Amino acid sequence: MSRFIIRRLAMMLLVLFLISVITFLLFAAIPNGNPALRLAGRNSTATEVHQIEVLYGFNKPIYVQYGRMMKNIFTGQATSYVQGFNVVDQIKHDLPATLSLAIGAGIIWMVASIIVGTLAAIRAGRHTDRVLTVLSMIGVSFPPFFLGAIFIYFLGYKANLFPVGGYVSFATSPSQWLHHMILPWITLSVLFIGFYSRVLRSTILDTMNEDFVRTATAKGLSHQQVLRRHILRNSLIPIIALFGLDMGQVIGGGAILTETVYNLHGVGQLFAQAIGLLDNVTVLVCSMLIAFTVVLLSAFTDIFYAVLDPRIRLGA
Amino acid sequence: MATTTSETGTQFSTDLPAALAQEEVAAGTGPWRLAWRRLRRNKTALFFGGLFIVIVVLCLLAPVYARDIAHIGPATENITGSNLNKCPPTCVGPTDIPVGPSWNISSYFLGADSLGRDVAVRLLYGGRNSLEIGAVATIITMILAMILGVAAGFLGGVADNLINLILDVTWAFPVVLLGIVLGTLIATSGIGPLHSTTLMSTALIIGVVYFPYVAKPIRAQVLSLRQREFVDAARQQGLGNVRIMFSEILPNLASTIVVFIPLILANAILLEAALTYLGAGVQPPNASWGTMLSDGISTIPAAFHDVLAPGIMLVLTVLSINIFGDGLRDALDPRSKVRIAH
Amino acid sequence: MRKYNRSLWAAVAVFAAFALAACGSSSSSTTSASSATTSSSSAAPAKSGGSVTFLYGVAPQSLDPGMDYTTQGGEINWVVYTPMVTYTHANGNAGLKLIPGLATALPVISDGGKTYTMYMRKGLVFSNGAPVTASSFVWAVERNIKIPWGGSGEFVTPVIQGATAYSSGKASTISGITANNTTGEIVIHLTAPYGLFDNVLAFPSMAPVPVGTPFKNEATNPPPGVGPYKVTNIVPNTSFTAVPNPYWAKEAIPGIPSAKVTVDAKISSNVPANALSVLNNTADVFDWADTIPGSLLPQIQAQASARFTKVDLGGSTYYMFLNSQEKPFNNQLAREAVVTGLNEEAMSRLGSGFTDPGCYFMPPALPGHLANTTCPYGNPDSGGNLAKARALVKQSGFEGYPVTVWSEERDPRQAWMTYYTAYLNSIGFKATQKLISDAVYWTTIGDLKLHPQTGFGDWNMDFNNPVDFYGVLLTGPSILPVNNENFGEVNDPEINSLTDQIAATNNTSTVESLATKLDVYTAQKAYVAVFGYQTFPKFTSDRINYSALVFHPVWGWDWTSFSLK
Repeated sequence: MSRFIIRRLAMMLLVLFLISVITFLLFAAIPNGNPALRLAGRNSTATEVHQIEVLYGFNKPIYVQYGRMMKNIFTGQATSYVQGFNVVDQIKHDLPATLSLAIGAGIIWMVASIIVGTLAAIRAGRHTDRVLTVLSMIGVSFPPFFLGAIFIYFLGYKANLFPVGGYVSFATSPSQWLHHMILPWITLSVLFIGFYSRVLRSTILDTMNEDFVRTATAKGLSHQQVLRRHILRNSLIPIIALFGLDMGQVIGGGAILTETVYNLHGVGQLFAQAIGLLDNVTVLVCSMLIAFTVVLLSAFTDIFYAVLDPRIRLGA
Repeated sequence: MATTTSETGTQFSTDLPAALAQEEVAAGTGPWRLAWRRLRRNKTALFFGGLFIVIVVLCLLAPVYARDIAHIGPATENITGSNLNKCPPTCVGPTDIPVGPSWNISSYFLGADSLGRDVAVRLLYGGRNSLEIGAVATIITMILAMILGVAAGFLGGVADNLINLILDVTWAFPVVLLGIVLGTLIATSGIGPLHSTTLMSTALIIGVVYFPYVAKPIRAQVLSLRQREFVDAARQQGLGNVRIMFSEILPNLASTIVVFIPLILANAILLEAALTYLGAGVQPPNASWGTMLSDGISTIPAAFHDVLAPGIMLVLTVLSINIFGDGLRDALDPRSKVRIAH
Repeated sequence: MRKYNRSLWAAVAVFAAFALAACGSSSSSTTSASSATTSSSSAAPAKSGGSVTFLYGVAPQSLDPGMDYTTQGGEINWVVYTPMVTYTHANGNAGLKLIPGLATALPVISDGGKTYTMYMRKGLVFSNGAPVTASSFVWAVERNIKIPWGGSGEFVTPVIQGATAYSSGKASTISGITANNTTGEIVIHLTAPYGLFDNVLAFPSMAPVPVGTPFKNEATNPPPGVGPYKVTNIVPNTSFTAVPNPYWAKEAIPGIPSAKVTVDAKISSNVPANALSVLNNTADVFDWADTIPGSLLPQIQAQASARFTKVDLGGSTYYMFLNSQEKPFNNQLAREAVVTGLNEEAMSRLGSGFTDPGCYFMPPALPGHLANTTCPYGNPDSGGNLAKARALVKQSGFEGYPVTVWSEERDPRQAWMTYYTAYLNSIGFKATQKLISDAVYWTTIGDLKLHPQTGFGDWNMDFNNPVDFYGVLLTGPSILPVNNENFGEVNDPEINSLTDQIAATNNTSTVESLATKLDVYTAQKAYVAVFGYQTFPKFTSDRINYSALVFHPVWGWDWTSFSLK
């Protein structure tokens, strides 16, 4: 078992390394993206550009630059040439908004998915099932920025029920924090509920067929008890795996659209802005952060499965 | 939006062939016929499938609409009305507010956008582009996923580890970054045959982004199929690895693959809209639902029709694909049959 | 200078109408804590005290004057870092007049225009109480060369004797500047007569800073300056506060008003939301460099007509460059065709009516600017003569020739270029549009190897001298291998010679007549297709004393003119 874990974690480090290298090289490949050119300002001469290159080390071979960049990042000294701030500090400043969004939305979508999925499974094939299918699918079919636009326009601007956009930290005012987060939470959860509830529904239906369920019913357990004790517990496994992967994305700043639309100033929005500005330092740090959270949670997921199913850890 | 990576068999139709085989021995019909029967009973799925087909047909008829009915192309701008005076008083007001729907099928049916172009015509042309991007991306995804998933699951060992690494890196890599950087590269210098006026670069990006979603479950399925008796039997017959992959493994993956196609198509269309909104997707003058949405959003509240038209079309299309795909999945998996007595 | 703008996030990122909050806080931010300052020397006797919220759609490049070269930074930096020479705090052309700042008087020019002599005022202190010396000025110049400040390559390094050697590291000081801390005398020797050097001295990057301030961009911890305001509480990319400088009153520099209010500046990229906040009085000032979305204009004009005006500061020209060295625009007829058929009214609408049509390259504030009545290829208000344009294209022999139109991503620039591309197609070219990420647009088309045929260009004056436009954008020597601004690669001996003559003289009427000649010549040769002079929104909340506001022709908002009713 521990060999398996070590292997997974080693894989994780390798993935992180590769992502940092690829991102770094991507920026090197952008024509006219040379930060020295942009820093030198307009009308600079070639000698001035060269001076900047020497000053910031842009003229060194690419692997030396990469090494310096990594060192700066891990010692918390990485400063953005384009925007002038310390990237790690900026991320720390923006993280609470992202975490608020991720955790709140995560709870909502899990609870809602379980309810909808279970209900749909119990009433499989019947009217309720079909209605729930269509409803949950609608959520999945909306681009989040469009959904956000509609919410903000009707619920914020027209009806004035919600403040629109912006983030108030919990420390400043819990009630304001909640008021600001409700619409973003709903917008983000709606994306996942449709899919999660469908997966849950089909795994519940699969599980209902298993021998151990028939045995339990034969033993005299009530329908409720069977549902709770055996079916749900088993059916939740794939959902939890999915949850790990998706949360990994959102926590690291993957909910770019939702954060941008509601102007939450979280890590995702920082990332999106940095990409637009071709701010290579910030982009690099943010990419690594997302990759880290995704890969970490993905590794946990695999380990979680290996714990449950011996075939996996011994096999492939 | 991923699928389970479980190898314990609670996945889609791992044991489907066996189960169906048992059923059809009884009923005497093939598995696909049975699936079709189940699908037919699902009226909701059929309705939405039909809706999707209607949308596709409408979009394909875009040139007909433009040429014969509306008499205006998707890129023709009409700002001060000096060329084609079709909107009273002008299609775009002095502060760049476009005129709303005229509800007159032959002239600016859904109104104008901020460059004075006909929204209805652009909607149909845009639909063509969005659907084309989605389709090509789906094909790319499925082909990549099949090749890599089967190779990883079947060959195992080093190949499996390497492919797993590729899957993990692709999965963790932020797609927006890739989209924007590739987009900039293509616009300035082009990459091989790709230049900014084609839609293929966006399709390529989306296709590459989604293949881990499909490759992982395929790999899982192949891993378990590999242990099966019919594979051993084929090997004893002296068939080589490649032959076995094609003749024994792939057909058993068919239903999994079929189930994934609508899922990926729906997500590809959504991702195109998202990438375009963030500036990494389709470039002008090509229209797509994504470009119309992002243009439209900046004209709220003065011109809500600019955002509603592409938004509703997009949602309806994706919804139809999703519901139909869901019905398809239900139909192909016999264990989702109705359980009555409790 | 270039307006530094974030790209799509700012404009496209969110839709209008409803987002009321700026980042970090939800609604109103007014406190009526009074920080009473001494009365100002500006026109209207305004109330002192209180604080206002200022919304930036785009953050200043840096609050360090040695680095910043944007309008967003300039508008705060010029009242925090008073240079030796500065502008009058007044509206319109009156604001273009230079007055002494930290110098006792305007520099005395001698030696045929090559020597500038001035004296540092006595008894000045920085906003942290440290004394100002003549060396503080020299330190600032050294800083802006070494950091480097974006304008140093054009206006400082080649102009001051010894600066080039200093810049390349061959010399450890600038030989052309001498400073005497006892007498306060500063003498600057130029490499050649440079009529606009006074304007160069008026840049915030040339404002004295304490000796020893590091030679790097101190964005989060900028040096103290001598000015009505000082900046505190900097949260990068998010906000900062400008408070009245406690030492300012004692400095008693005439002509520069003191600060009346505290300004809470917030950066919120959702520009439509910012406009709405100001409309609803939950924020006070809308940054003049941001664009009010056209969809909100009717509302604003209806509800807030008393506190909203469109002002032509007279310093910006928006145009399409036409590459005079590449086909098809190396042909005079092809260029004429573009100018003849261009519908400037349509372009203006696409920009929500914020550009005033025009055909001459210099904008209204520059001396020698001509009215639109004499345009050689048609009056810009007339809507463009398509038939004639098509005929000209045919005549030029370039019908059907492929043209690439280079374009930024944010609106309305993208919309302008989309329209322009369709227009070029309608007159007979085969045009396609290429979108470049805003972050690298200028460096991309500024790469000479690209030889871009045509695309969007803009210029905001640094000061009202024609050399700021022509010398940077249209003369032969201004063609650079990288970071080029002369995108059309125009190298016309007539333009070169006239520009040099303007640079060498200090006589205003000579400048004017030469400039007019230059503009007429350029328009006739159709080297650029001008489509308008940008106007800017002067838009505040109800709380602000609107009539007392100064909207400066170079810096936009004059923060010292903010006061509450």
